[in-house]
Amino acid sequence: MNSARVLYHMVRADFLERVRRYSFLLTLAGALWVAYGVATEQVWIVVGNGYRGVYNSAWIGALMAICCSTFLSLAGFYIVKNSVQRDTDTRVGQILAATPMRKDFYTLAKTLSNFAVLACMVGILMVAAVAMQLMRAEAHSFSLWKLWSPFIFFALPTMLLAASAAVLFETLPLLRGGVGNVIYFFAWTAAMALGATGFDDPTGLQLLYRSSRQTLQAIDPTGTDNFHFSLTIGGEHAVRTFPWNGIDWTANVLLMRVGWIAVAVALAYVASIFFHRFDPARSWFKRRPAGASTPQATTAPESASSSPIGVAHLYPLPKTQSGIPFFRIVAAELRLMLKGKRWWWYLVAAGLAIACVFAPFDAARGGVLVAAWLWPIFVWSPMGSREARHATESLIFSSAHALSRQLPAVWFAGVLIALLAGGGVGARLLFAGDYRGFSAWLAGAIFIPTLALALGVWSGGSKAFEAIYIVWWYIGPAHDIPGLDFMGTTPASSNAVPYLIATALLLAAAYWRRRTRMAYA
Amino acid sequence: MQLAIEDVSKRYGGENWALRNFTLQLGPGVLGLLGPNGAGKTTLMSILATITRATSGRVTWNGTDIASDPDGLRATLGYLPQDFGVYPNLNAVEFLEYLAAVKGLDATASKRRIDELLNLVNLADVRKRPLGGYSGGMKQRVGIAQALLNDPKLMIVDEPTAGLDPEERVRFRNLLSELSGERIVILSTHIVSDVEATATDIALISQGTLVAHASPEELLRRVEGKVWEWVIPSADLNAARQRHLISNSARRSDGVHARVLGDTPPNGAQPATPNLEDAYLYCLTQHRAGSANQPTEVGVLA
Repeated sequence: MNSARVLYHMVRADFLERVRRYSFLLTLAGALWVAYGVATEQVWIVVGNGYRGVYNSAWIGALMAICCSTFLSLAGFYIVKNSVQRDTDTRVGQILAATPMRKDFYTLAKTLSNFAVLACMVGILMVAAVAMQLMRAEAHSFSLWKLWSPFIFFALPTMLLAASAAVLFETLPLLRGGVGNVIYFFAWTAAMALGATGFDDPTGLQLLYRSSRQTLQAIDPTGTDNFHFSLTIGGEHAVRTFPWNGIDWTANVLLMRVGWIAVAVALAYVASIFFHRFDPARSWFKRRPAGASTPQATTAPESASSSPIGVAHLYPLPKTQSGIPFFRIVAAELRLMLKGKRWWWYLVAAGLAIACVFAPFDAARGGVLVAAWLWPIFVWSPMGSREARHATESLIFSSAHALSRQLPAVWFAGVLIALLAGGGVGARLLFAGDYRGFSAWLAGAIFIPTLALALGVWSGGSKAFEAIYIVWWYIGPAHDIPGLDFMGTTPASSNAVPYLIATALLLAAAYWRRRTRMAYA
Repeated sequence: MQLAIEDVSKRYGGENWALRNFTLQLGPGVLGLLGPNGAGKTTLMSILATITRATSGRVTWNGTDIASDPDGLRATLGYLPQDFGVYPNLNAVEFLEYLAAVKGLDATASKRRIDELLNLVNLADVRKRPLGGYSGGMKQRVGIAQALLNDPKLMIVDEPTAGLDPEERVRFRNLLSELSGERIVILSTHIVSDVEATATDIALISQGTLVAHASPEELLRRVEGKVWEWVIPSADLNAARQRHLISNSARRSDGVHARVLGDTPPNGAQPATPNLEDAYLYCLTQHRAGSANQPTEVGVLA
């Protein structure tokens, strides 16, 4: 079998496995939602003094394609960053590892399969772009090339880059988990900023910026002195339009875009260097247990003690119980959440908690609390999905009162973590008599773990919370945006009510979802 | 103490029936649930363990429908699923303490129970080692321990000896036999010798239906006079397999000793004492032959 055929079958099998999952439908629904947002003018590009392009094929194509290469390169990464993990979970990886499969073929195949999934989303927006032009009917001429060429040269290379970055992150032990999800967000933010500095960024924003500026300069020279260019969600509306006929796809421009494709392929090859080939010895990198004097083997050897076979001596259990069962589960859940964290994690958490008490009040309420409630992100993110992730559902769900006790206990433990991490700020607000601020802080302390629990129960994984929380945290609390600041970091942005309502809804959603997962509640 | 399965069926989408009109009454003792792959054993176990709902029919525990009071059953249930996981950062004691809390057990009593159980499943030496470093067999033993945490009156164990070494397998069989006195134990397995050693009753299941429910002695009586030992040249073995149902074969200096199941012996075959494996194959083959012109294909035993 030749190499191309091997690669084709590896990509095909992985792609088919994905598209036949329910989650793929959700992915497509997400793409439709983005398309709807653009088509209904909730997302637009404003240039110069409040201009937008006339909705002709070129402008609609560029707008939709830029949405793909910016928003979908962020969301898409989180969607596809599980292809290697899936082979581990399904144990197909062990079968593949025993074949002559080359490591670089594997990572390239995973990249292409990731890309195929993302390309499906781009495809939806390409169709939506046609619909949008017909609906808007601002321009009479229709050019499929002008409409779709930005997708081909902007969106698809960016998607390939996100696809290969996902594989690279999965193969690097440090970036494989939640830390990688957070780091990608900041890397993505940096890439967006790159476009603003004049660098030819992977998304194509800089190319569109230059082209639209050039066109606008000929129409309204005053508008280009301090040329403004922004991709906006729900912000200021453009008040004027200008005709823009698209980017001139010169050889230089195309070469630049091909350059990003080359970077993506290079990333896939770099990933192959770190790919563990499903060797359990390389995936088991936990610290040695206390007291162990020799390096731990891949798996511990079978216990060799030869106690006599047989005889079950089990003392009967008492009919009555000591303590309140619910709080025993909370304590057990807390231990589960915190077990395995290293000493430096506790040190930083303690430092932030202490700073919440002793730092100058404004700094404590702003920066310190924002950091203190980001630090436990990986403690919260497995909430609601730990049972599925570790295949303990059947053990837990077959226990009495699992729904009424275990799920609330997980939630309560998550809230306790938030209270402990940022309690200093809450106490200071309370003692200062700032009840509005305190209620906003309290709403935040309850809302964060509730969001984690609901997303965990619904998505069956920790990634959804990690991705949504970090983006929300960055836009809201870190930038004091009033409507999105769920931590109440300033008096102006303190509003408990929406987050208390959201908490109630999310709790109900988590409960309902978990209830449907269990045969009997 | 009684578990009643009344006309239970389970359908997974379309017309894919995993169980059809399954009826069984169980009292204290060990029920060995035997059947080929895809027979519906795990589906039945999941229904009994309140993990999944039956499409129709009902299951009662001491007269109460488990659909109306699932926690009544769960409080006295010990369940060892075929596939289960553990939390890799916890050690065996912490994991069992966690499950004891979830099961609502008394804190002091559960500590003592965990000590006993870890000794029982021979994991006391590695009790403080993170579960992520355990081998498959050791994890299986943790699973056995958790199933016994709450002193269950109903124990459902699905392929419990998978991954265990021979010594541990014998230990587990003994444990099941000892525990069976005051409780109902349902043991699902492919391994006929496990059932032979422990079961007081056997249920044969195939294609989602109950083929037979009897004591081991009764099942063995069904194949009395139907098992033959036939010595043939090894070159003739494949041809013999085409014509007869052969449950086992062993090469000896005088040729291949084949165990043949059938009403009439092949030429030169001598009567043999039936074992449970013969009974299992015979009943299954009879059932398949009788159901909708199915080919009389023999299920492969692990």
